[in-house]
Amino acid sequence: MKATSEEVQTRVKKLFEDGSIGHFIGYETGSDSLRVTPCFLKSGQAASRLVWNPLCANNLSKYLLDFKNVEGKVGIMVKGCDSRSVVELLKENQIDRDKVFIVGVPCSGIVDREKLLEVLGVSPGEVVAVEDDGDAFVVTLKEGKQRVDKEKALRGECLVCKYPTPVVYDVLLGEAVSSLPWVGDDYSLIKEQEALSSEEKALYWNRELSQCIRCYACRNICPVCTCSECIFDKKAPRWITKANDVSENLVYHLVRAFHVAGKCIDCGECERACPMNIPLRSLNKKVEKDLLELFDYTAGIDVEQQPPLTTYKAGDLDDFL
Amino acid sequence: MVKQTKSRIIEKNRLTELLDKLAHDYHLIAPVRDNNVSFRRVESGSEVTLDYINTVLSPKNAFFPQTETLFRFSRDDSRGFGIEEQDDEADREQVIFGIRPCDARSLRLMDMVFNGQYKDSYYLNRREKTTLIGLACFDPAETCFCPTFGIDPASGEDVDILFSDIGDRYLVEASTEKGAALLDRFAEFFAELRGDEEQLREARKAGLAGMKKLDVKAIADKMAPLYEGDYWDSIGMKCLGCGICTYLCPTCHCFDIADVSLDEGGERFRCWDSCMFPEFTLMASGENPRPNRKARVQQRFFHKLKYFHDRNGELACVGCGRCIKYCPVNIDITQIIEDVTSGKAGNE
Repeated sequence: MKATSEEVQTRVKKLFEDGSIGHFIGYETGSDSLRVTPCFLKSGQAASRLVWNPLCANNLSKYLLDFKNVEGKVGIMVKGCDSRSVVELLKENQIDRDKVFIVGVPCSGIVDREKLLEVLGVSPGEVVAVEDDGDAFVVTLKEGKQRVDKEKALRGECLVCKYPTPVVYDVLLGEAVSSLPWVGDDYSLIKEQEALSSEEKALYWNRELSQCIRCYACRNICPVCTCSECIFDKKAPRWITKANDVSENLVYHLVRAFHVAGKCIDCGECERACPMNIPLRSLNKKVEKDLLELFDYTAGIDVEQQPPLTTYKAGDLDDFL
Repeated sequence: MVKQTKSRIIEKNRLTELLDKLAHDYHLIAPVRDNNVSFRRVESGSEVTLDYINTVLSPKNAFFPQTETLFRFSRDDSRGFGIEEQDDEADREQVIFGIRPCDARSLRLMDMVFNGQYKDSYYLNRREKTTLIGLACFDPAETCFCPTFGIDPASGEDVDILFSDIGDRYLVEASTEKGAALLDRFAEFFAELRGDEEQLREARKAGLAGMKKLDVKAIADKMAPLYEGDYWDSIGMKCLGCGICTYLCPTCHCFDIADVSLDEGGERFRCWDSCMFPEFTLMASGENPRPNRKARVQQRFFHKLKYFHDRNGELACVGCGRCIKYCPVNIDITQIIEDVTSGKAGNE
């Protein structure tokens, strides 16, 4: 059985009552029926605000960085992908495992708001609620209910998700989900891009990245972008200028992709946040594929396993030397 | 300004041809669908999309580009170095087609900044050389709330010419001399009214019923006591500190100026900046008067809902809803306005 909002509320209330946590980071209903928003609680009284449904896209784990110096434990709600970024934060000692209480929720896919609205052909105001029902989302509209096949309305990262159940947690609400039926070759799109010539790749990325407005939403939302001062914000030296042109944009995105190499767990938050609809996940996915092929490494699984680019082994590849 | 509006119609199937002509004679900027719909320079009418509620980026780029070269400098054997004004692009006559009434109003607000005590020649030059062709809004988004600021989404108050989609044709109304002149210049495309246009427009206005209209009469005064207090805590906590809201906002106008220098010369440029970024207020000493996300988020709303009003008598928002639609953590300015005006914000 899937966890319900009520189960989350009851459990969180109890965690506050028995002193397990002093803070909680979860989701609450947003400003329309197709949005949720992060919710920060200091006591169990307001736990009734919490929700858990297929709209809970935000990866909340980045907010743990803001709770490093608080009294008591911080409770947090994580899906499969979010738990993997928690693993990465633990690897980097960004957070202390003893100060975090992880409420895991197995996830069967998150709604892509725009896709869903397009399939339904309605405006957001028509939607009352969205529920998970196996291979479909059941959407309650102002007039009637509709079933929408998940494959038509899932977020891109959910279509290739191999870890629907959290890999680290203190308590798991709802039954574990071992695999998602629609997940096939998670690198099919990357393989298509790899087949392009260098010129075609340059053309493609120059076109995409010329649309970047450098709002830094992709960086700021990224749960594994944890530097207290980002290289791109540094005044001296200035590595890139604030001028928006495609060469500066390219430097920004490529450096970022390499900087999160081995840490990116494909939660898709960068792409979700991007107002310009730039397919940012494909940059990270390419790096992820290379790391898997070259180092047999997958991020966000095991706290003991260090990212290949931050470690050295005598047997590491050196055929490029 | 002419008081008398000049009204014509254009058949829908002649629009592309008109846009072709406009693109030929002017620097035409119109909505284009790429990864999303945005205003771009177009070379032909077929590039233009009319299938949008509003664009992701506002057309402010056409007056206040995200990055703009102010001048170039170079080494010069005789005098040491030389300065070359960078103005070639700014001298063209441009037409913006498809601007929505909310975005058109935002230009009036930007004028207060760039045409106030200091005259910004870069902005004003573009403004003077631009003809605005608006597109009336009959199917607003749920995030739209322009009536809050006295904007009529079906009106051409802030444009030179307004196009209203009334089914098989557009009703075309010029409300300025500039607009009337453009209609005359392309007179072959426009026909006399058939008589039922006003009725058709009224019917289309049905789509505007129920648009969100908030009461903002006393908001600037109600903001003042919120400078202290906890209201902004939870909003600041949620905020990612990205620049989406400020960069997509048609009224946000803050900029930075910097030089890029290479061995033989370089340029001074200005570019958009955002009060959401920590470096925005970072001082050379390392001190930052807005040290955290709460302080920055608070500043953004104070600027929109109080400071701009104190200085210019208007609120710095046109209700386009972009910041609501695109905020990844769902910070919603209409909720904030309601919290402030209802007194809820003061009780938190």
